[in-house]
Amino acid sequence: MDPAAVLELEGIHVRGRGQPRLEGVSLRLRAGERVALLGPSGAGKSTLLAVANGLITPDRGSLRWQGHELARGARARRRQQRRIGTLWQDLRLIEELSVQQNLNAGRLGQWGWPRALLNLLLPLESAACAAVLRRLDLDPALLDQPVAALSGGQRQRVALGRLLRQEPLLLLADEPLASLDPRLAAELLELLLEAGRPPRALLLSLHRPDLLAGFDRVVGLRAGRVQFDRPVAALDAGLLEALYAGAAP
Amino acid sequence: MTTRERWAVALAGLLLIGLLPTACSPRTDGNAGADGATSEAARPNEKRVLRIGAIPDQNPEKLNRLYGLVADELSEQLEVPVRFVPVTDYTAAVSAFRTGDLDLVWFGGLTGVQAWLQKPGARALAQRDIDRSFHSVFIANPRSGLTPFEDQSGLQQLKGKRFTFGSESSTSGRLMPQYYLTQAGVALSDFAGGNPGFSGSHDALIALVQSGTYDAGVVNEEVWLSRLREGKVDTDQVVAIWRTPGYANYTWVVQPNLDEEYGRGFSERLERAFTSLSPDNPRQAQILELFGAETFVPASNEQYEAIEAVGRQIGKIR
Amino acid sequence: MSARVGTPLWVLLPALALVPLALLLPGLSHGGGWSLVGRFALAALRPSLDPLVLGSALRGLGVTVGMALLGWALSLVLGLVLGALSSRLVWRQCSGRLWPAELIRRLLALPRSIHELLWGLILLQLVGLQPAVAVLAIAIPFGALVARVVSDQLDALPTSSLAALRTGGVAAPAALLTAMGPPLLPQVLSYGGYRLECALRSATLLGVFGLGGLGTELRLTLQSLLFSELWTGLWLLLAAMLLLERLVGWLRLRWTMPPRLSLSPQATEASGRDTASAVGRSGRELLLGAALLLPVLVAVAWSLEVDPRSLLRWQPLPPLPPADWGAVAALPWPTLVGNTLSLTLLAAALAVGVAPLLLLLVRPWPLGRAAVQGLWALGRLWPPPLIALLLLFVLHPGVVTGALALALHNLGVLGRLLLESAEHRGETTEQALLSAGSGPRLALLYGRFSALARPYLAYGAYRADVILRESVVVGLVGATGLGSQLLEALSSFAVDELAALMLVYAALTLLGEDLSDRLRRRLLAG
Repeated sequence: MDPAAVLELEGIHVRGRGQPRLEGVSLRLRAGERVALLGPSGAGKSTLLAVANGLITPDRGSLRWQGHELARGARARRRQQRRIGTLWQDLRLIEELSVQQNLNAGRLGQWGWPRALLNLLLPLESAACAAVLRRLDLDPALLDQPVAALSGGQRQRVALGRLLRQEPLLLLADEPLASLDPRLAAELLELLLEAGRPPRALLLSLHRPDLLAGFDRVVGLRAGRVQFDRPVAALDAGLLEALYAGAAP
Repeated sequence: MTTRERWAVALAGLLLIGLLPTACSPRTDGNAGADGATSEAARPNEKRVLRIGAIPDQNPEKLNRLYGLVADELSEQLEVPVRFVPVTDYTAAVSAFRTGDLDLVWFGGLTGVQAWLQKPGARALAQRDIDRSFHSVFIANPRSGLTPFEDQSGLQQLKGKRFTFGSESSTSGRLMPQYYLTQAGVALSDFAGGNPGFSGSHDALIALVQSGTYDAGVVNEEVWLSRLREGKVDTDQVVAIWRTPGYANYTWVVQPNLDEEYGRGFSERLERAFTSLSPDNPRQAQILELFGAETFVPASNEQYEAIEAVGRQIGKIR
Repeated sequence: MSARVGTPLWVLLPALALVPLALLLPGLSHGGGWSLVGRFALAALRPSLDPLVLGSALRGLGVTVGMALLGWALSLVLGLVLGALSSRLVWRQCSGRLWPAELIRRLLALPRSIHELLWGLILLQLVGLQPAVAVLAIAIPFGALVARVVSDQLDALPTSSLAALRTGGVAAPAALLTAMGPPLLPQVLSYGGYRLECALRSATLLGVFGLGGLGTELRLTLQSLLFSELWTGLWLLLAAMLLLERLVGWLRLRWTMPPRLSLSPQATEASGRDTASAVGRSGRELLLGAALLLPVLVAVAWSLEVDPRSLLRWQPLPPLPPADWGAVAALPWPTLVGNTLSLTLLAAALAVGVAPLLLLLVRPWPLGRAAVQGLWALGRLWPPPLIALLLLFVLHPGVVTGALALALHNLGVLGRLLLESAEHRGETTEQALLSAGSGPRLALLYGRFSALARPYLAYGAYRADVILRESVVVGLVGATGLGSQLLEALSSFAVDELAALMLVYAALTLLGEDLSDRLRRRLLAG
């Protein structure tokens, strides 16, 4: 056990139920670490992230969050989950609501019913939301817009904005760059790496090995097993080739 | 045309061709007579089924047993096939009688009058001894402070109380009680809440007065007495406070054309079949017991003039 | 866009009707009947297994299911034919004139606006107590409803393939059948399946009013407080209903027909196009199903002694007293109409609002959800007049009691629909919120209800119109407006009053239909 670890996975097994399996995955993230998760499709990257944010309960293995086991009680577990934020590949924005309401959806874990309901009538905390938009290089005038009216790049940033509003300690991101053109991808990656500064940590799954520059470590996942876990500088072409062998990178 | 389209077209065609005959007659004329021709015009010459029915104010199990026995008895005595047709609704029973779908119906006073007014020539055939002078009983929950009284004017006590009738078209549960209430100077708006309740049935009414839901209500005396006998009434919680004067109630009502259908004198034979029911014959004894009667006696439309007048007065007969 | 503000809250807005209800109920309830309700509930565990009771309930169920099946089949045939006849597209292709389509469409509004119970009672007066009466009573209004859906769908389908065939020289009827038939089929089948469920409910209801089947038994046993015998019938009916719903749902899934809540026009179109090919693959099964259905229908008609010829032999009307129009005009019309409308609105608001509220409340507990589902199934099962009779044990008769009965019944219908569609919408969004530590109720509200709000409320608007039509059936519990006056007129055989009341009812329903259509279009377009 590592008291400095934000997230500690040990021997995680997940039997596939509609998702790729995991077979004895161990992984440790300390505060301030920014880790990229590499691997071919079906390697289990999304499953691993879903285990990390508590959506999937592993069949075997232990998961420690800031040194504590993931709580069994629903309430206590929710309290832990509030500090774990996820950027989903399909964004999972609420299309029918405005940008501001979507940003505030990141606060639902902290808010009680009165504020949650009020936010649906009169979107709350405009100043904080506007600050998040500015931080993401978006015009605060967008706050009143429905998210359905935004462009692809703008939607990506609003999703990241919801994550920032949640103020998590651990940021998880599932293939956030997959469908973006190179310029947008680079911009978003920069924002994510920025958000993952200490005391926060970032775990991000990637399809492309060419965007690893800003990360501290790389973890290679293949067929549900960790193939390697080392600093970016210690990565070589042979390892990558073995990771993707037989699969289109 | 793709395969898919061919299938769809073929299916649409088949559906149309196939469903239309369903809408037409599935039966041949041959067996129409056997299980009961459904309309007057279609009756073949052979003896057709005599259909008897009843308005429902008994529990269905008893209804089925009772009328099964009656059907068997009549069938044996008259040598015609007899079938019991259950009808739930007062209005439906009257309509089915008018349209000739029921030949012989056990009607209440009001529905009987409605039936022969709608089917001129129909007549009251026979009734139980108790139906010549039938009574309703006003009952009350003792906690309401209501006490038994002798004189009709005692109904005045009910003003300001929570009061319930039985079913809306019931003779003994609504029509006649309403008449006596009006006579005593009690308007429906005098009850607590500005109007009376309708409990839906005699049994529900007794239960609701007993539980104190209503202070008082009015119920068919026959049902009341039989529930008392069966021990289903908690006499600490509900007591009879007044018995109405007698009025003519239930009666068998018969279609006018049965003599033409089954031969001269059929109606008289039918009447005799009822009036000769005797407790010495086991099945007949069972029928009498289920009907709650000592004997059946001849009935006539004239007995119901008072009911007709009351019906007109309160708008249930036009 | 301020129109989007508070979207998921809209779903809960109608539940505000609970507030006036909570204020009114203490004055209406009389408490003492709770022991009866308790006995009723307990009897659920001890249904009577007496062979006599069981046998008569089974026979009743057979009659009810048979009537439903026949009425439904006939309504589909009627609906397809009349739907084609009232389609603008068909008339444009076949004769170039549009007005006949409009005319037929308007004429069809009348049979649609009159509840099947009233059709049943009118037909009973005309042709007597025949099994065919209940069948026709279901087929007439249902046929008109199917016709409307069919013609709406026909006129909304893309016509490019039709134009291609026509320019190729194909005659109009053949071209219409070829080009429009396949894309129309999945819609019709999906809607048809839903209508079959409705037909079972209607057939039960008709029985309650004396037109045969299990409804008769249910009412009699309830009125004589024989709760154990009552539950024998109820459990049987519940089994039949759930079985039918499962079957319809399974077929819908298997033949990949559009779900019922795809109410947005674009969505319907798109899914229609996607699924047309899948239905083509299932063509063989469909054909087999139809081929199986036919002998079943014939056998059912045979055993129920449904004789269509009997419908042609009209009975003489009773000797009518001269119409007293003065008395008819003297009826308290504003009160009657007002009561009917408030009953409808209260019932609709309760049904529409309470369904999502209940889902929210029980969200964290799987058992609670199962309980709510059970409650809804019972609500769907119970004909509203029986719910009303049961409510009379604890409430005074009147508008609120009638509204509660209708609300409970429609809550069952709406709740099931909501649950079904909630399973397909917004699941990932809800997951995202859950994994960020938000409570399960809030995640449901934000994640799923946001996407559901508009189509659900649009369906609610349609349901309100259905409730208005249905308000006649709770006339049984007294003082509920036009409905109770209508039943009163029926039992007094006052034909003049009856005619006037039906006319007003029909006018009100058509007006309501127009309003609910507008509301629905606005909700779906916004």
